[in-house]
Amino acid sequence: MNLSVRKIVISGILGAITILLGVTRLGFIPMPTLAGSATIMHIPAILGGILEGPVVGLFTGAIFGLFSMYQPVPPFFADPLVSILPRLFIGVVSYLVYFSTKKINNVLACILAGAFGSITNTVLVLGMATWRGYLPPEVSISIGFLHGIPELIVAAVLTVILVKGIQRIRSTKA
Amino acid sequence: MELTKNITLGVYLPGETSIHRLDPRTKIIAAAILITLLLFIKSYQPYGLFMLFTIAVIIASGIPISYALCGLKPMLPVLVLMWFFQLFLYSAPEAEVIVSWWIFSATDAGLHMGNLITLRVFFLFTIITILTLTTSIVSLTDGLESLLKPLRMIGIPSQELVMTMIIALRFVLILAEELDKIIKAQMARGVAFDRGNFIQKTRNLFPVFLPLFINAFKRAEELIVAMEARSYTGGKGRTKMKTLHMGRVDRSAGVVIMLFTGLIVYIILSVNPQI
Repeated sequence: MNLSVRKIVISGILGAITILLGVTRLGFIPMPTLAGSATIMHIPAILGGILEGPVVGLFTGAIFGLFSMYQPVPPFFADPLVSILPRLFIGVVSYLVYFSTKKINNVLACILAGAFGSITNTVLVLGMATWRGYLPPEVSISIGFLHGIPELIVAAVLTVILVKGIQRIRSTKA
Repeated sequence: MELTKNITLGVYLPGETSIHRLDPRTKIIAAAILITLLLFIKSYQPYGLFMLFTIAVIIASGIPISYALCGLKPMLPVLVLMWFFQLFLYSAPEAEVIVSWWIFSATDAGLHMGNLITLRVFFLFTIITILTLTTSIVSLTDGLESLLKPLRMIGIPSQELVMTMIIALRFVLILAEELDKIIKAQMARGVAFDRGNFIQKTRNLFPVFLPLFINAFKRAEELIVAMEARSYTGGKGRTKMKTLHMGRVDRSAGVVIMLFTGLIVYIILSVNPQI
């Protein structure tokens, strides 16, 4: 498989934003729970999936995963099965949702893609953490609701705003 | 609000010890082997050996032990909480109840599980910390690139993935500068970033994110044109200016890791023969 320069560069830039959100702590919204904060670091991966297709979503997700393994907060992210593997699917799921609903309405498709991308992250990461035995199921479910829902809302709103903004810029240039 | 001041990517401590001089590929493979081993340890004896080995590696790498563990300090509450969760919520048939209070009861199986999980997470964290303290992010990427190269044969564009990572690392600092400008510009327009509750703080992010992403995409378009103009065609057939070499130190590290793995596997099998 050969990737176009475009796909490589855009995944790289979205990956850079992911890392930037991580190192500046801008990507974390402080919340008084076990994991400490709700994250919006998965949004670049969602955008990659929507704007450039599944491969870009997957690459951006891979960078997100590698970064969270590199700086494991909470500590069980040091396990690559929890930190990297689930993140690969964020962009891919967003892409699938966006392209199956795009014909109905662009804004609706963005909202759904953002929401489903966020759900993918929450469910798979917590599912993996439970399966690997780091968290008991009761705790995972409560974190899922406490973090998952605000993350989902923020992700859905931000996805619409960002996708619309970027699409507008692209259409005026073309 | 100075978010982007003093951005440090990683926590690399430069040094000249044999651990530092190891080829990044050796270190990545060794870390992968140790992580895999950890997933199979279900009793305390191997952890004792693991502890000795980790301490030996930390001493050999010249990192002060207090420094290596200081990254763990903010994680401590989470580790303790995880231990309590296992203690009270782990359910196993025929578990003996040690303490019981209100609706919670601690079982011996829960205690064992809690100890094991906490130890596993602790060692996973320590291994990753040692790897990142002794290896710069650039040589980690180089090592990863060379290790992933064979995946090309089964159609996985590994070098493109590494190129993506290199672009990401290069652009973090550029985008950080831009983020700084955006934040200052929005503060001048009256956005109060450090005030308000959870919802207001989240809403304040929108006027930062939109310009950040749009500028990033503009830069991406420029970079695409620049790379295409220079006929970049992906990873196939590319050579590197600095190539990696495995030396004597890598061979001895390989022997040490192999011996250690053998020993751990032997202990695991002799303690729990059913695995």
